Amino acid sequence: MRTLADAYRAAGGDWVDTAVAGNEQARAVALSRIVGNDAPAAALFNASRQFRELIDQGLLITLDDVAQREGWDAILPEPILNAVRVNGHYYAAPVSLHMPTWIWYSKAALRKAGVEREPTSFAELFVALDRLKAAGLIALAHGGQAWQDNIVFRAVLANLGGRELYLKAFRDRDAAAIASPQFREVLTTFKRLHGYVDAGSPGRNWNDATALLISNRAGFQIMGDWVKAEFSSAGKLPGRDYGCIPGFGAHSPYIIQGDAFVFPRSGSAATLRAQKLLASAITGKATQLAFSALKGSIPIRADVDVSTLDQCARLGVSIMKDRSRQLGNDETWLTPDQNGALADILTEYWNRDLAVSVVQQRIAAALAD
Amino acid sequence: MITRRIDSGLRRAHLALVPMALVALVCYLGATLWSLRISLSSSRSFPVSDFVGLAQYRRLFSNERWLHSLGNLATYGLLFVAACLIIGWLLAILIEREVRMGGALRLVFLYPYAMSFIATGLVWQWLLNPGLGIQEAVRRWGFSQFRFDWLVDQDHALYTIVIATVWQASGLVMTILLAGMRGIDADIWRAARIDAVPAWRLHLWVIAPMLAAPFATATLLLLTGVAKLYDAVVAMTQGGPGTASEVPTKFIMDHLFGRANIALASAGATVLVLSALIVMMPLIYARARSSRRPA
Amino acid sequence: MSGAGGERPSVPRRWYTDPARLGLLALLLSAALCFLLPLYVMSLTSFKSMEEIRNTSLFALPPQLSFAAWQAAWSSACTGVACNGISAGFWNSVLIVIPSTLIAVGLGALNGYALAFWRLRGAGVLFAVLMIGAFLPIQVMMLPLVRLLAPLHLVGTLTGIIIVHVIFSMPVMTLIFRNYYAALPRELFLAARLDGAGFLYAFLRLMLPMSLPMLAVAAIMQATGVWNDYLLGLVFAGREHLPMTVQLNNLVNTTTGTREYNVDMAATLLTALVPLLIYALAGRWFVRGIAAGSLKA
Repeated sequence: MRTLADAYRAAGGDWVDTAVAGNEQARAVALSRIVGNDAPAAALFNASRQFRELIDQGLLITLDDVAQREGWDAILPEPILNAVRVNGHYYAAPVSLHMPTWIWYSKAALRKAGVEREPTSFAELFVALDRLKAAGLIALAHGGQAWQDNIVFRAVLANLGGRELYLKAFRDRDAAAIASPQFREVLTTFKRLHGYVDAGSPGRNWNDATALLISNRAGFQIMGDWVKAEFSSAGKLPGRDYGCIPGFGAHSPYIIQGDAFVFPRSGSAATLRAQKLLASAITGKATQLAFSALKGSIPIRADVDVSTLDQCARLGVSIMKDRSRQLGNDETWLTPDQNGALADILTEYWNRDLAVSVVQQRIAAALAD
Repeated sequence: MITRRIDSGLRRAHLALVPMALVALVCYLGATLWSLRISLSSSRSFPVSDFVGLAQYRRLFSNERWLHSLGNLATYGLLFVAACLIIGWLLAILIEREVRMGGALRLVFLYPYAMSFIATGLVWQWLLNPGLGIQEAVRRWGFSQFRFDWLVDQDHALYTIVIATVWQASGLVMTILLAGMRGIDADIWRAARIDAVPAWRLHLWVIAPMLAAPFATATLLLLTGVAKLYDAVVAMTQGGPGTASEVPTKFIMDHLFGRANIALASAGATVLVLSALIVMMPLIYARARSSRRPA
Repeated sequence: MSGAGGERPSVPRRWYTDPARLGLLALLLSAALCFLLPLYVMSLTSFKSMEEIRNTSLFALPPQLSFAAWQAAWSSACTGVACNGISAGFWNSVLIVIPSTLIAVGLGALNGYALAFWRLRGAGVLFAVLMIGAFLPIQVMMLPLVRLLAPLHLVGTLTGIIIVHVIFSMPVMTLIFRNYYAALPRELFLAARLDGAGFLYAFLRLMLPMSLPMLAVAAIMQATGVWNDYLLGLVFAGREHLPMTVQLNNLVNTTTGTREYNVDMAATLLTALVPLLIYALAGRWFVRGIAAGSLKA
């Protein structure tokens, strides 16, 4: 966040911070303040449907001029563009692109367990997990929080179920797809992964799980690319100490999720200018490069020179260039409510032994309306 | 002259109660009615004024997480109130006899009430974490089979919330009961000693019934704590593992903002208020009848 | 601290020879140890370095006392983009607590007095509504309150958060004062009325001075409650007046970067210091106040 603040200040703006730890709480505060006529000048949301209602209520300014000037249509990937461009107008300035379902592994841990190569399919993954378990290590480092359970599920759905099933389930909310045997297999594989986490997993924060990889006590973690910041601050390098698998197979989907700033209307010309300034500052090339390097994300712009980013980021960027592999995050199509309901069901299934058919039914019901 | 004074006194009394009336009617009643209205609509992040009947309530009661939350709250409420009352009472009995270190000990038992769960949540997580806290420590002492992993156990996570909140509130119950014991006539203690009544019998059959009022006050305060349970859950388990320790207030909060469904949240809120009403109704009625005072 | 009345005919015994007394002490001390456990762990951790925390048991004593974490927590820890420690929140909390306590206690006493001594139409109903309100969780009231205060431009201001705290504390404050005044002998009040005392006069000159213990209890409860509040401060206090608890949460629950547990614990203890001190210094008044009133539910 400091990179953004610096860039904004460098462009002549004045940054006043209201920090709130925890994404949901921050959004809660932002929403409350907007309702309470004390709207912040900018608020960070996910590039999803989260702020759709804000748009519908006419509470956000449009950024069409900034978008034209910077050529957003050309440089932003499609899922993000769909989130920030509504009815032809642009309402949010994307900050970063993340892929939430990378599979990370600690090279030392894998070596110790006798796993020779990166797994390239779920079958190989389970073999590797078994070996890690046998070697007395934590096979899958996982933080038992609902959103993290959701990430693991999406990883399985994208890689095992495939792009078609993913879209049918999340974009079309097709009940038949959810009741299908393929979906069932995704769910059971998801549940099977639960057998490889350690007892202390429930409630654990994601960075504590990454710490297990860093200290070579665990083998794998399924998490977004923001873990790279943890690795770097511990002095670990990709390729040498840890590895990153974007997915199984040469055409595995690349799920795109992003953060974006929205700018509530304020009625003040000075604020409007400041908001536009912030929007162009954070989407500028230099800022994007600096931010991505620190956060572990990928620049939102396709025209940034990424040779200075680490190899996992470069891998991500090159995959993203292939539009057929771009896949939106479930939040792109599901309302926050549906997404939340799905997370509730998944986290309960992860922790409790339920019949798969029951889970399928519940998911279909949750995504129905 | 006195009549005029009395009249102006009454008027002033009415005036003085205006803030309370405002708060009670506009804020509390108003908020409840507003919630009710929203729960009958299809509002998402912002209120809309359509009318969908009881659809939100139907959705609410077919929601696994909500039903689970209600059950959890009921279980929690029973355990919490019972444990606090018993432990607070026992502590009061023990301290009442102890003259020398009474003051310091009282502070030891009361200090948790001064701390919020934002502060203590993390520590409780550590203490109850099987790999870090009590289980690990006891195992290191040699009891290698000792298990205390309730925090991460589906079926027992709720009990950890009970433990932490009982730790926080028992001191208050103890203080209230202690104060009550102070008000008991010295003759009773003396008579008990002379008759050589064993202490436990004295406390159970004689003193405790005389403490009915402090017990009632303590129970009332504890019940308000149960209804508002939120901080401890968020700080310790975030409702997990899975949905094992979900509570209604968390459901409402999550749906107000994160899930952008204030209609569903309001339906939950209305149900909560109704439950509180049902619980409080007999109490209020009893009080209203007993406190009819002559002018 | 002697028991009720304090007169017990007894042969003075040495505490270490009386088995009953010893047993009592043992029970009390073990209970005390259990209650002190969290505080113990918090203090220890705040004096250790991160290395020691990672490698030693939760309950182990630090090899050397280091105040570095305390210093960092107060003045240099990062709560967002700003890295000024949680001292920033300290004065905000003070600014919020003092007016909230004074106003809430004052109003509670006034309400209790009016309810207890004056027969007013509809007061019973209002009081019942207020009592139900005591059971309403904050979450239920948050959005309506925001919408209520928005047109008054009070959201995000110091005045706003103070008003919100007064609103939320009114049920309990009114309840305890009403009970207290209801338990006082009515003759005093009637005599004063007969002598010509008006509403306010009787309150200020007669009732208030008689309710000092109760005022102490109410003030202590209110002050610590407001100091420890998090959610209301987060939503209503506005950027300029975020209380210490919000800063603390930002510090402890940061979702990015390594968490410095020793700094977290030091910050937690610093935040909890004020209520702890209040209870330590004024605990005696707390007990006396409760003993003097509010025993009738």
